[in-house]
Amino acid sequence: MQIPMILTAVIGLLMIIEFFFPMPASVTSLNVTLRSFVTIISATALILGTIVLTIFHTKKVGTRGSEWYYSIVYVVAFVVTAGLGVLNVRDTTFLWIYNNMTSPIGAALYSLTAFYITSAAYRVLRARNWNAAVLLVCALVVLLMLIPIGAILFPPVVPLGEWIRSFPSGAGFRGMIIGTSLGIMGLGVRVFMGRQKEHLGIREERRDSE
Amino acid sequence: MSLMDKMLALDQRIIFALMFIALAFPILSPVILPMNIQQYSRDSFEFADSIPSGSVVLIEGGLGAATYPQGGPGLEVQIVHLLSKDIKLVFFSIGTETAAWTVTAIDNALAKLPSGVAAENGVNWVHMGYVPGGESGVAAFANDIRSVKTEDHFGTPIGQIPLMSDINKASDFAALFWWGGSEGSIPFGIRQIVTPFGVPMTGMCTTNEVPNYTPYINSGQMIGIIGGVRGSAEYEYLMGMPGLALGQAMATNFGGLLWALLVVLGNVLYFVARREGGAK
Repeated sequence: MQIPMILTAVIGLLMIIEFFFPMPASVTSLNVTLRSFVTIISATALILGTIVLTIFHTKKVGTRGSEWYYSIVYVVAFVVTAGLGVLNVRDTTFLWIYNNMTSPIGAALYSLTAFYITSAAYRVLRARNWNAAVLLVCALVVLLMLIPIGAILFPPVVPLGEWIRSFPSGAGFRGMIIGTSLGIMGLGVRVFMGRQKEHLGIREERRDSE
Repeated sequence: MSLMDKMLALDQRIIFALMFIALAFPILSPVILPMNIQQYSRDSFEFADSIPSGSVVLIEGGLGAATYPQGGPGLEVQIVHLLSKDIKLVFFSIGTETAAWTVTAIDNALAKLPSGVAAENGVNWVHMGYVPGGESGVAAFANDIRSVKTEDHFGTPIGQIPLMSDINKASDFAALFWWGGSEGSIPFGIRQIVTPFGVPMTGMCTTNEVPNYTPYINSGQMIGIIGGVRGSAEYEYLMGMPGLALGQAMATNFGGLLWALLVVLGNVLYFVARREGGAK
């Protein structure tokens, strides 16, 4: 168990010190090699994930598990698309499937948000108190700034909207980014010290009594 | 149930139908209205316009099926813009789907190029394809392209690509254009390319993500950002190449106004109902 944790700490430190200090060519070269490992491991993980998912759905069909018929859709779609893609990724049939099925589904799913957001806003975005009123006014100003006709109908929304986006909103997000970064640093220190082991597949029980 | 209650609990199918009409009508009968150019879009355009001829720039194509309608037209126009200025383009993507969509963007842009503009694959542009590994993959690519990619998206060995002969790391590029769509990957470019290598960068994301990245613009780490279909439309407008995005941006006029009207109506009804002791 010690070896993976030591490896994590050493490799992590190598990456960090290279970022902040000039290092000998041998260290830089080693880091380049290690980073290229990431792309190989990621690509392997993608293949592994696909295999595991396919085994899962194939078993589900075989055992007639709950809602197994959805798994048939996956298996058929996977076999046909992957088969054609492996044969020739620029094959017309493969591209036809991609352009006429995958793309419209993705685009349609994303565009549904316009409908649901409008419905949700009508029901929820109400000035029930001062906080909600501020949110409502900001939302209307930024929306009118973003739609092309907004600047023609209500010219003041442009500077006001830009101000909201750049300052209050920007400040909020800056705080969030700094907070997240500090959290990541803390997590990194815990990993280096061997106190965080989830990346090794070890989930420790919380010891509330401590 | 009173009319007020019915209006307050308006069937969402009616809202969906109204929104559909508001969005479909201007797409079917487009009317191009004058539009105000946002500062972030103008900064992005002017940055691209200021890159000297002959420079080599890096473009991350992160648009997928869901986000291509928003950013695709803008990316296509930017490719036309840069190639027309004799700037060499090196594309890469950190997603498998987005790598394919980047090919679509390149193909569409090449079809729009004015005659006489050089756009030979491997000489004026190259698509290095999918780079796995997320942010770590970007770091590896930025430090040593050949350690990550041995051939381009179409299978041409990197050694046979004239454009790549003197290019192997991020510092070899004059600029970075990060068309991240909704990948949330813009910080990858800032952390792995802008900060360590000092390469100036602009980005593109969906409209809702623009506030996420304004801190990077305010701090000077990113020069500007193309925000959603409106940003793409503004790029088309600045280039004098009206296209799909401009038509879609006009559709957002009606959709956006309907949204605002419904929200205002909802609030008016809410206050009336509250005065009458109904709504809570």
